[in-house]
Formats: sequence, C-alpha cells, structure tokens
Amino acid sequence: MSIQSAGTRRNTPLSMRRLTAAASLAVIGSLALAACGSSGDAAAGSADKITVWHYFSDANQVKVMDDYADMFEKTHDGVTVENVFVPYDQMNSKLISAAGAKTGPDVVVFNGADAGTLALGGALAPMDTQWDAYADKDQFPESVVHSLDGVTYAVQGYVNLLGLWYNADILAEIGVEPPTTIDELESDMAAAKDAGYSGITLSGLPQSQGEWQAFPWLSTEGFTYEAPDAAALEAGLARARGWVEDGYLTQEAVTWDQTVPFQKFAAGGVAFAQNGNWQMGTAASDAKFKYGVVPLPLGDDGQVYLGGEAEGIGSFAKNPDLAWEYLEGTYFSADGQIVAVNNVGSLPSRADAGQDPAVTDNELLKPFAETIVRFGANYPSSVIPAAAVADVQLTMGQTWSAVLGGQKSPADAATSAVATIDGLLKK
Amino acid sequence: MKQTAGPVTITIKVLLTLLYGIPLFWILLTSFKSSADVMSTQSSIFFRPVTTAYVEAFNGELFTALGQSVAIALGTTALTMLIAIPAAYGLARTSGYITTIGLGLLIVFQMMPQTANVIPLFQLFGKWSMLDSVLGVVVADTALLAPFAIILLRPFFRGVPPELEEAASIDGSGMLRTFFSIVLPIARNGIFTAGTLVLLMSWGEFLYAVNFFLSPGSYPLSALLSQQVSAFGINWPGLMALAVLTSIPVLIVFSSTYKLLRDGLTVGAVK
Amino acid sequence: MTDQLASAPSPTTTRKPASGGADRAPARPRRPSKGLKRQNRLVFLIPATAFLLAFSVYPLITLVRMSVSKVNSATLNGDWVFTGLENFRVGFASGETTQALWRTGLFVLVVTVVGMVGGLAAAIALRTTGRWSGIVLAVMVFVWALPPVVNGSVWKFLLGDAGLINTIVLKTGLVDSAIPFLYDQHWALASVAFVNSWSVIPFNALVFRAALMGISPEVFEASALDGANKWQEIRHIMLPAARPTTLVLFVLTVVFAFRSFDLIYVMTYGGPGTATNTLPFLGYLQAFVRYDFGLGSATSVFTVLFVIVLAVVYARSIRREESDS
Repeated sequence: MSIQSAGTRRNTPLSMRRLTAAASLAVIGSLALAACGSSGDAAAGSADKITVWHYFSDANQVKVMDDYADMFEKTHDGVTVENVFVPYDQMNSKLISAAGAKTGPDVVVFNGADAGTLALGGALAPMDTQWDAYADKDQFPESVVHSLDGVTYAVQGYVNLLGLWYNADILAEIGVEPPTTIDELESDMAAAKDAGYSGITLSGLPQSQGEWQAFPWLSTEGFTYEAPDAAALEAGLARARGWVEDGYLTQEAVTWDQTVPFQKFAAGGVAFAQNGNWQMGTAASDAKFKYGVVPLPLGDDGQVYLGGEAEGIGSFAKNPDLAWEYLEGTYFSADGQIVAVNNVGSLPSRADAGQDPAVTDNELLKPFAETIVRFGANYPSSVIPAAAVADVQLTMGQTWSAVLGGQKSPADAATSAVATIDGLLKK
Repeated sequence: MKQTAGPVTITIKVLLTLLYGIPLFWILLTSFKSSADVMSTQSSIFFRPVTTAYVEAFNGELFTALGQSVAIALGTTALTMLIAIPAAYGLARTSGYITTIGLGLLIVFQMMPQTANVIPLFQLFGKWSMLDSVLGVVVADTALLAPFAIILLRPFFRGVPPELEEAASIDGSGMLRTFFSIVLPIARNGIFTAGTLVLLMSWGEFLYAVNFFLSPGSYPLSALLSQQVSAFGINWPGLMALAVLTSIPVLIVFSSTYKLLRDGLTVGAVK
Repeated sequence: MTDQLASAPSPTTTRKPASGGADRAPARPRRPSKGLKRQNRLVFLIPATAFLLAFSVYPLITLVRMSVSKVNSATLNGDWVFTGLENFRVGFASGETTQALWRTGLFVLVVTVVGMVGGLAAAIALRTTGRWSGIVLAVMVFVWALPPVVNGSVWKFLLGDAGLINTIVLKTGLVDSAIPFLYDQHWALASVAFVNSWSVIPFNALVFRAALMGISPEVFEASALDGANKWQEIRHIMLPAARPTTLVLFVLTVVFAFRSFDLIYVMTYGGPGTATNTLPFLGYLQAFVRYDFGLGSATSVFTVLFVIVLAVVYARSIRREESDS
C-alpha cells in the first residue's frame, strides 16, 4: 500500500506525495492565482461540539488553536470547539487504538509525515467528497495534500522547513557575510571558532528529527532515497562528522532534539543554527542579539524537506460535516492561515495567503520561501512506501547519530544504512 | 537510641544529600528562571528570578487536574491495597504450586511494558464503557501496581509470627477475625510503606491517564506535566514549576506517613 | 542471628535479646498447636486473582499473540496473521536483539548492584531519626516521586557539557575537556545506568529502612554492652534483619532495570546511534516508532522470558525459605 497525491498516481505508483517546484511556487504566492478568501459559512444553528486533537503546547501554537476555535464558534452559533492536547509521542498510537475501539476525535491535527501510518491504521476518514467539492482546492499545491491509494485523507494548512539561522553580531565581529555555499559555511564556522564561539547547532537525535535535519546535508552530496548511494551518504556523514572533529559542532548534539539546539543558539555564543521557521517566536523572545536567516547553503542537488502538520477528519468523528466546516473555515481558509503566520511564522499553503503582506513583508520568512523554491522536497520522500516511512526515518536518524557520536565510522554506517534502506524500500 | 555517627555514615549522608539535593535544587532554580535564562545560565545560580512559570501554572485547569489526581491516586491506592493485602497474606501463608506459579506470574506482570498494555486495555475499556472515566484509569493503574504491591507486602506478612495466629485460632477466633485483629496490626509498617509507595506511584502515572481520558478537562496533574514537552519545544521553567507544584502533595503525604511510621514504632506493642 | 530476628519488619522482635534467641517469646503463652490449615488461606487470593485475570492476563495474552503475528498499523485493528517465530527470527537476524541483550545485561548488572548496595547503605545511614536523616529521606522520596521526564531532563542538564558536573571538573582542572557523559557510546550507557540506579535507590532505601526500623533499640543496646562495633552491628544485626526484604528488593530492582526505558528515552533516546538501545527501549522503538507491533512484542516477550528465569529463582528461594521456617 502507499500514500500518494492523486494527481501523480499513475507516474509513481508507490509514491507518498509529490511536490513539484512549480506547485510550491504557489506557496510563496508568486503566482497570480488570486481566488477569493475564506468560504463564508452559513451559521449552523445546532447546539453541537467538535473535538480537535492536537499536540501543541507552545504558547503561540496553542493561541492559534484557540483563535481557530473562536473563529469557528463565532460563525456557528451554539457550536463549541474542544481542543484536546495529546502528547506528541502518544498521538499516533492513541488515534489508532481509539479507532480500534470505534471512537476518536472529529478533527485530527498531526505530523504530516505520519499521514500514511494513520490512514493505514484506520484513524482518518476519507476526505475525498469534501475536498473534491471544495471551491478553493486549487489554491493548494499537491505537496500538501496527503493521499493513500488515491484517497485523500488530510491536507496541510501550512508548511514548516529548515533554514540557516545566523547570529549577526558574531558574523559582524568575525567580518563575514552569511554563507551561500557549504565551503563558505565551513570557513565561517572556522573563523567563529577561532574567535571563541561555537560553529553551529543542529539535532543529532537518533530518530525522525535527526533524519529531518540530516537530509539536507546528505542530499547535497547526492544522496537520495530514489537511488540510495552509499558513497554519497558516506560523503555527507563524513562532512558532518568533520564538523564535530574540527570543533564546529559539539558532539553533544546527538542528545538534542530540535528544540535544545535552538535554545542554545538563542542563548548566544553560536554562529549558526540549522532550524525551522517555527522558531521565530523563541528567537524574538530569547535572543538578545541581532539574527537573520538564509537558505541552507546547499549545492544544486540539495533538498530541504517541506514538513508541517496535516489536518484530517477522524474516522469515528461524531460530527464529520461540522469537522469539515471547521477545517474549511480555519486551517484551509486564507484568514485562518494568516492567523498561523502571525502567531507562529508558518508558511501558508494557500497561494493567495502566501501573497498576504503578513508573509511577503516578513524578512525572516523570505529565506524560507526561497528555500521552498530552490530546495523544496517531499517529506517523506515519495519513493518510500507508507508502511516503511517510520522505519526509514529511524534507520537514517540512528545512522546520523551514530556517526556524529562516533559510534560508527561514516563508511560503516553508510554501508549498513543503505543495505537496510534498500530492503525497506521494497517493502 | 543514641548513636554516634561514624565517618562512614557521615560520608554516605553527605553523598546522599548532594546526589538528591542538587537535582532538586536545580529543579527549583529552573522553575524560577525565564525561558531565555535556562540555557544561558545553565550551571550558574546567578540569574534574575521570575515567577512567570508559577503564575502561568495557576489557573482553573490546575485545580480541576488536582481533583482528578486526588481521585485517581486515592482510588488506585484503595483498590490496590484492597486486593494486594489479602493476596500478599495468602501468598505468605500458603505453599505449593499455586503459590509458586502465582509469585512467578506476578513477576511476569511486573515485566509487562506499560506501553504494550495500552492497546489491549483500550479495547477492553472501549467494550466496557470505561473509557474517559476515572474508573478506567484507576483500574488500569491498579493492574499496574497490584503485582508490585503484592510482591512488596508478602515478606511483611511472613514476618508475622504464625504462633500468634495459632493462638488466636485456638481462642476461637475465625480466620478473618485473626487476619484483621492480629495480622494487619502487626504488618502495618509494611502496609503503610507499600501504601505510601502505591499512592506516590499512582500520583505520577501519566501514560494511562493520557491514553484513557479522551478530553483534556479530565487530565490529572501528571498529564498536564506532559503538556510542557512537545515536538516543538520544551517549556523548561513550566515543566519544573509544575513538577514542584504537583509534588507538594507528595511531600505532604510522605511526611505524614513518615511520622506515623516512626510513632507507630515507638508505641510498638503487639496485643 | 536467629530466624526470628531475620524475619523482621515486625515489631514483635522488640523483646528479644541480641545474643540469645533461644526464647521465642510470643506475647501469649504457647499452647500445643494443631497447626494452621494453611491452604484455607488461598481464599485470600481470590480478589487479586479475579482482578488480574481480567486486567493483566488479557494484555499478556495479547502481547504473546502479537509476538507471533504480523501486526502493524494497518492490521492492528484487523486480523492478525499468524507468523510463528518469524518476528523473533527477524529480531535476531538484524542483530538488534543480540546487541541490545548485551547492553541490557550490563545495564541491569550496574543498576542492580548500585541500586541494592546504595539502597542498603542509605537505609543504614538514614536509620536514625535525626533531623538531617529526615530531611534527606524526604528529599529522596520527593525526587523519586517526580516523573522520569523531569528527573531525566535534570540529569541531562547536569551531565551536559555546560552542566554543573563538567563545569566543576573543568574549573578544578581535573580534566582538560568536558566529559562526554551522554554522547560517547560507552559513557552514555554508564550514565543512563547510573541515573537509573540513582532513581531506584530512594525506593530501596525506604523499604530497607522499614525492615531496619523493626529492630528494637534493646538489640543495639545489648550489642553495645557486648562491645560490638559498627561493622559488627551491621553484619550481625542489620543485614540479617534486612534479609527477607533483600530478596524482594533484588527481584523488584532487577525487574525495574529490565523494563526501564523512560529515562533512556529522555536522556539519550537510545543514542548516540544505538549505543543505549536496551531491550525495553528497542521494543518501544519497534512497536511505537516503527509501528511493527509484532516485532516489538517479540522483543518484549523475549525480555519477559529472560526474566522468567529470575522468577523461577525467586520462587525457588521462597520455597526454601518456607521449608526453613
């Protein structure tokens, strides 16, 4: 079985989702697909409740959820929206076991990469009917529509991705500009180190977060999941291990998820951080220095995953119609997506929302939008079968961590990882 | 008893004070930091203390959760002790295959990964309409803690001299009466210890709470704690402040039972 | 020491001279005994049996069934295809299980030895009722009751490069560069084993202490009159008093070590690479990260089988103990 976007089904029968650069252009709003904004809702008068499961606990993200609830309750008299926090680690298993007990939420907000797992587990209701009838669906690039065997299960209201944050004060002190090539990055980190600073922070955790952070550096050496090449993988791993050995990156990174490295960066004393657009809030509140973002300095082959949360309807929703109306009025509407831009700094998935001044006037968002065009890649890669996604991510995360932590040499790690991944891709 | 503490004792005490005091001190420090200071002043005790985390923690949610925690912890402790005390006594006073198998099974139950229990229990609770209720969580927690409590209690019941029971039975006391009037009072040290431990463990249990409650309004404190950690960030001061707040009842419970234990011993008589 | 003293935590031992032990003196005069009809006491097992049959045996059966079936996220709520020992074969063929087994062995050994010795030492040191002991004990229990995510995070900070411990050893010039507590493969395993021992010591200390508190002051007074020193007191009075509890705590500590995964989860997530993947953590990764519930259950069942050996030892020593008494 596989999950894939409907449009490219015939070309890539085992694909998860396909993103084309053209489609992603829509995200930054450079295409003039100026359709009208949110679909107006006729007020439904019934006294009803919908339950929304999410895993956000960051104050800004929770505020988005609250704002959405307010937005929807205002247009729907007597309807209440209950936002239910489920810890990230429990979300998938709780959804699948709830489906087994024939219960569950009306709306699910989950990690887009897990769409395949959840659809296979029967936790998501098919959304084809609603989605096909949705007037604004052309506003969305295919990359944010999650399907399995041609059935649409969820759509993303925004994308999240990685960029290179820099500490402008440190760069000014050592007299360099933000890097545009990987060689520049390395010489900048060397200069930062000589001036008594750390080079870069990133995550080396042996799980999907590690894989998500490793992939840009691996892909720039030519590694892909379409044709996994041990030599390319070894080159990417060896480069990162070199950063540890040269003292640019602390080996401690193997214990860090994506949060800690950014907190370290925001605390000062680090020249660069490979981290996401969602850290804008943390940067604004915690960083006491000038900072900026540039696209990761990858070569022509470089790829940066386009991640983010996907939204779907629970397979045992008590109010599936109301659930769809909620999604239509919040996550999928232009107004709703601007709420997320303003609160969290996510990149809206709608073309028209991408043209909103809230996006185009934001200096920090620009490099991320540029990254989408230059390096944007499906997350997870479209050649990985849905059932193997988690396995592949864990394997690569462990490989990345093993090399950064010195448990394995880049050569050994690359050979065994490619062997494992070859097996998984055939699953 | 008057004893002079030897140098070894003093060394151990100092070591323990440091090993457990420092982490606790660090938790307290972090809970008074602003999130920006957590990383920048990692090993320093000098920073500008703020009470933001505590102010944020104190809201209506906290008190609802407190009520749920109390209900779950008391319910679990009561149910666990209700079935564990007789079982431990039974296993202490019997021998043969049933006892041996029973003890072996208890260890196997102890070994079951808690994560693996969630799926079958969810199905079971779904069938029996016990999802989203305090009862479901209490039952799950009891199934988790009862084997532990039985294994722990058994030696305390073995410590009760059989002669006392024999004497009572000769005096015409029935099995149940002997159990209540002779055995329980003598084994009370162990019962208090095990009960306290079960109470504390059920207070902190969150995996079942998070999985078997379907609405956040029902989450106990332990589940609120898990809310401070997400894929998008950890609210360190919030986590530590909530940890401190949720553990205050733990401290109260412990210090009161600690006194009970100590006083119980000095009175110490067996009837 | 006598059997009766050894069967401590009961206050009945209060009236016993230390050196003697001949007079087993229950509170009542001894009468000829017909012996207890012990097997009647099986009645007491009924509530627990009924409860555990419903809520523990069913999950156990599910776990075993999963371990011999193909269960993933797609089939979890459907039919499980029986695959025999395939899951076990896959686990061993990949080398993951074998490697995790060695790590787990080492880990369990450290946690058990440090946890038991530390617990007993703490119990003896904190046996007195002074203020200091009370406060230390309270702090230990407080910390023990904190969720693993809090304790794990604290230790992660303390053991980090910029953490307190590295700051101190660097400032005092003991080492030139920070000790890689959590990110060197060997240090990482040692560190998680240490923190797990640390987290079990308060519990062991509390239970050991309950056993020691059962010894009456007269016993110590008598031994003091006999001129016994501290070590002799520990060896001849305290250790025998703690003996029955020792076996139980040993079993509980080993079981704790064998199933402990949340501190590893918080501190290293099994890393660097796979350096701290113990069996329970491996089982978690397989079942809940890779959604191969069959494979994960097989790892858990394998771990349980391993511990059953321990359970047999436990049950046998208990029967020996019974034939003694």
